[in-house]
Amino acid sequence: MSTTTPGSTTGTAPRSRRRRTDPVYYLFLFPALILFTLAITLPAVLGFGYSFTNSMGFGDWDLVGVRNYIALFRDEGVVSSYLFTLGFALVTVVVVNAIGFALALGLTSRIRLQSLLRTLFVLPMVISGIIIAFVFQFLFSNSLPAIGQALGIDALSSSILANEDLAWVAIVIVTAWSTIPSTMLIYIAGLVTIPTEVYEAGAIDGATGIQQLWRLTLPLVSGYVVINTILGFKNYLNAYDIIVGLTDGGPGTATRSVAMSIFKGFSGGDYGYQMANAAVFFVISIIIAVVQLRITRGKASFGA
Amino acid sequence: MDHGLTVADTGVYFLHYLNLDPRFIWFPGHVDALPSSPDKETPLSPAHPAHPSATARPGRRALLAGGAALTAGLLAGCSGSRPSVTLYQSKPEAIPFFRGLVGDANGAQSAYRYVHDVATNLSASFVRASPPDIACQNYNLEMARFMERGALSDLSDMPEAATIREDVLALADWYPGYEGRTSVIPYSVTAASVIYNKRVFADHGLDVPVTWDELLDVCRTLQDADVTPIYATLSDTWTITQGLFDYTVGGMVDVRSFFETLNAQGETIGPDSEVSFQRTLLEPMRRMVELLQFLNPDAASRAYGDGNTAMANGEAAMYFQGPWALAEIDKAGTDVELGTFPLPMTDSADDLRIRVNIDLSLWIPEEADQPEGARELLTRFMDPAVQDEYNASFLAFGTTKDAPPVSDPRIAPMQEYYDRGAFTMGASQFIPLTIPYENYIQSIALGADPETVLRRIDSDWSRLAYRQ
Repeated sequence: MSTTTPGSTTGTAPRSRRRRTDPVYYLFLFPALILFTLAITLPAVLGFGYSFTNSMGFGDWDLVGVRNYIALFRDEGVVSSYLFTLGFALVTVVVVNAIGFALALGLTSRIRLQSLLRTLFVLPMVISGIIIAFVFQFLFSNSLPAIGQALGIDALSSSILANEDLAWVAIVIVTAWSTIPSTMLIYIAGLVTIPTEVYEAGAIDGATGIQQLWRLTLPLVSGYVVINTILGFKNYLNAYDIIVGLTDGGPGTATRSVAMSIFKGFSGGDYGYQMANAAVFFVISIIIAVVQLRITRGKASFGA
Repeated sequence: MDHGLTVADTGVYFLHYLNLDPRFIWFPGHVDALPSSPDKETPLSPAHPAHPSATARPGRRALLAGGAALTAGLLAGCSGSRPSVTLYQSKPEAIPFFRGLVGDANGAQSAYRYVHDVATNLSASFVRASPPDIACQNYNLEMARFMERGALSDLSDMPEAATIREDVLALADWYPGYEGRTSVIPYSVTAASVIYNKRVFADHGLDVPVTWDELLDVCRTLQDADVTPIYATLSDTWTITQGLFDYTVGGMVDVRSFFETLNAQGETIGPDSEVSFQRTLLEPMRRMVELLQFLNPDAASRAYGDGNTAMANGEAAMYFQGPWALAEIDKAGTDVELGTFPLPMTDSADDLRIRVNIDLSLWIPEEADQPEGARELLTRFMDPAVQDEYNASFLAFGTTKDAPPVSDPRIAPMQEYYDRGAFTMGASQFIPLTIPYENYIQSIALGADPETVLRRIDSDWSRLAYRQ
């Protein structure tokens, strides 16, 4: 194949004008691509196919057309699990980012015992979700009511996990406790990229502490805010282990998340139906991600 | 010595040399074909000096020869690599017991190597078409699906099938089965009813109630004396469905015909259908709600372990749990004296029924690799000495016609009901997990209106029938 010089504009096919990519990059790409296809794409496509059957996941099955989808939209349990999951993800993302950012600000400022405190705050990250959930389950149903009774506080004297209107608060608290560290770490990484000159310049122009936070710090780490909200929201939409450990979807069905329904359907022999549920959930997640990216496009900045 | 070996084949031989099972990596058929085909390309023999390793490394050749010998041994049925037969058994308390049995079985014969699997996801193994060769598992609706879709082989020709009590074998048919097959052999039956504290009853001059009104009287007497009549653990949903729910429904409703009619009705289920949750189960649920006033005040946040501790410490008079809880209560080491009685739900003592379930059942999948080895193990397990020992140590009832009666005084009162067939399977065991009925029943126990909740189960049931 002839190489093309920058000056030549005619005579050669447009294809050859581009510089050829070194094949070694494809070599890097292929193992991951093959694994992704086999482990994610292929099962997803198969699962989508199964959503049009009454399959239990094994054995005989029949095509049932779009019956699963029709049944899905008439299922108040499914609708309420979507509402719960979306509401939970929204609240958690706000709580986690607010607290995570505040902690990151504190831990990047000049304070005593900085590295010790950083280590302490990161600790929850290394404990697995289900263990955290069981520990908090014990605290919420035994320790907290005991404290409430001792102090004579009515609101605390019975377990909030057994309260249909409040159980979700407990789930938000525990999820936040376990995911704030990773959010905080990303914010710390962002905050240390801001050079001190920016603040010095701001101070000379007469910016107060609050003004510096709103007009200097936040705009300069906006890229990290985008990362944390998009990744966080995605994670909270998949909420599973902490809910299983804390309430198992109860009391009643008050805290049943979409991921729980899908998984229970798999082990409960309702494979086809929950594959339909998963397909709908996939589309909704994509829409949410696209909307998030649209809103934040062009506004993200990764430090100065 | 002059075996023809392809480069690829050396891999297989090497695996044998390491005593690994080649079936996980290679097709057995391929191994079979090997020694009979001496004329393959690239033979590793001194006649081919072009092969660099052939003359240079005698060590490797010795290795290959050794591997070939091992393979020959395998094909000749040498005991070093007998076919493995997987037993799936995951009931946690029973794992040590069955581990011992599997060890005995491996020592007693040399045709098969039995492997005890306690952790594989059963549904997934069927999905992957690699189920265990034999299983000894709790028999429930999830299990019955394998049976219904023909994934379990027929065992009716085994002599062991004929030793099982008719009414116990029939329990397996409460679920929709596979026409004309004996897919499972019941191994042990657990019977559950109300566990009560004998001393508390005696202290307050109470007899075991046999009618609904007597039950309410007992509860009121205890409550007036500041004793918690019934201990409940509502935060563990299964303890509600298998206790309060199953006892109240089982005491008033013919569970088998209810679900048979329900399944026959298909998606037409509602207030006007012949049976429905909102019609048929409303009365039992109202009575269940009536019992809620007699529960421990913190029932909503208590879990299974709390209940066992409370009963061990004599903190309540009655507890709606099965014999599995007795084993846990024992662990506390208190001298609490317990007994059992069926929950009376009507005005007649003739309606008294205990709740049973097939605690363990034996079955062999159609796709088992080693059905013969599996059948041998089944026969071994069904040996009366083995089976009776299991049932005695796990507080279960025997399934065979000549099984001895239970000896533990706490569950002995249930023997007469078991013997005359006054038992029912739990209603909760017939509702697919895909309907979150455990959470629904929990919401009734926490104060929701039973009629609304039952209507919801009806509509879930109808949608399930519509799409299946």
